Amino acid sequence: MTQKPLELILARNLMSALSTPAFLVDEGGVLVFYNEAAGTLLGKRFEELGTVGPEEWGSLFGPFNENGEPIPYDELPLVIAVRNGRPAHADFEISSVDGARQQVEASAFPILTAHGSRGAIAVFWPAAASNGAGH
Amino acid sequence: MRVKLWGTRGSIPSPGPETIRYGGNTSCVGVTLSDGSMLALDAGTGIRGLGLALAAEPARLHILLTHLHLDHIQGLVFFAPAFRAQTEIVIWGPASPEASLRDRIARYVSAPLSPVEVRELPCDVSFHHCPEAEWEIGPARIRAASVAHRGPTLGYRIDDGDSSLAYIPDHEPALGADLDELDEDWISGLGLARDASLLIHDGQYEDTEYPDHVGWGHSSVSHAISFARRAGASHTLLFHHDPTHTDARLDELGRQARERWLELGGEADGIDLAEELAEYELPAMAASAAPAT
Repeated sequence: MTQKPLELILARNLMSALSTPAFLVDEGGVLVFYNEAAGTLLGKRFEELGTVGPEEWGSLFGPFNENGEPIPYDELPLVIAVRNGRPAHADFEISSVDGARQQVEASAFPILTAHGSRGAIAVFWPAAASNGAGH
Repeated sequence: MRVKLWGTRGSIPSPGPETIRYGGNTSCVGVTLSDGSMLALDAGTGIRGLGLALAAEPARLHILLTHLHLDHIQGLVFFAPAFRAQTEIVIWGPASPEASLRDRIARYVSAPLSPVEVRELPCDVSFHHCPEAEWEIGPARIRAASVAHRGPTLGYRIDDGDSSLAYIPDHEPALGADLDELDEDWISGLGLARDASLLIHDGQYEDTEYPDHVGWGHSSVSHAISFARRAGASHTLLFHHDPTHTDARLDELGRQARERWLELGGEADGIDLAEELAEYELPAMAASAAPAT
């Protein structure tokens, strides 16, 4: 058993209580958790999927740009946050397991501690929800 | 490894006729390693008694602070060895992005809260942020990890030979988490406590008190029991008693805890409430950690 860092444990506990879709990766970019709301967005619960390595999880929901082309892994907000240690934001389209497409906004931020990076969190906002808020 | 509880109370010293047995001093545990090296876990008011008991020895000792809340550092300026020039004191504690360990402790060990400043202490004192990796003190391997509490807080594990002590006095692992359902690697502090000979763990609140204290950084007795069962420690002491809990109330709490422990399949005598001045000898194959007589 490898104990997860406290910061990831607390992040997961918080995310579990949110209805905002949220994803959590560790410092190596491994997808270690996403919450029920994110599972609804993807059409698959985290418990069914389990942890997914870096480079692999992006293809789970195949983010597409406005031209319908896949967005390179390195350009995803969550990857920028964990690799570069800075927040990132993007609009893109995702695909759920049943093939349904949905426009979302994603914001990611790094989890930095006195001992360095622990990972990053991304929250997804379905475009319909974000259009209705703050405008 | 020999363990003595010098302070078992949480939050604030609670002396008086109703707290004589479980004690009124705040967190401090003395640990004597197999080569005679001395550690103090936390420096609540209990460390005053430890300091008096040490007489003029040892020349070097380590203080491992879990965090800097007052009930864990209040005894520092009343620790007699700190006022001996021949003593070397090494203080370990959590890092913070805000200030160094020395500067944060100096906020208490300075005017107007204290009659002395850190620089005026006659002893040779040094301050170290606990590393992420395991390190050694004498024959022991020490591991520190952040645990769920308010502010930067550590739990410790000390392995000396085949004996191990896990010390997590301020801990709320059940905050937003189901301790009975989560995978073990997602439970705060469990890696420190896994299969320890002795686990000293926060058990501040009665179950009925906990709902009014969610997020305060402490455990209910049921949560502490669930944590201890998941950890598989040979023996568990519930620690950091609430200042309002009298000896009589803690006796009843202990009875309920042991009953619950047995219901969950724990071994008899596997759990107790921490009593001030109780001593434990951790044997190499610690099936139990019986109070020394």
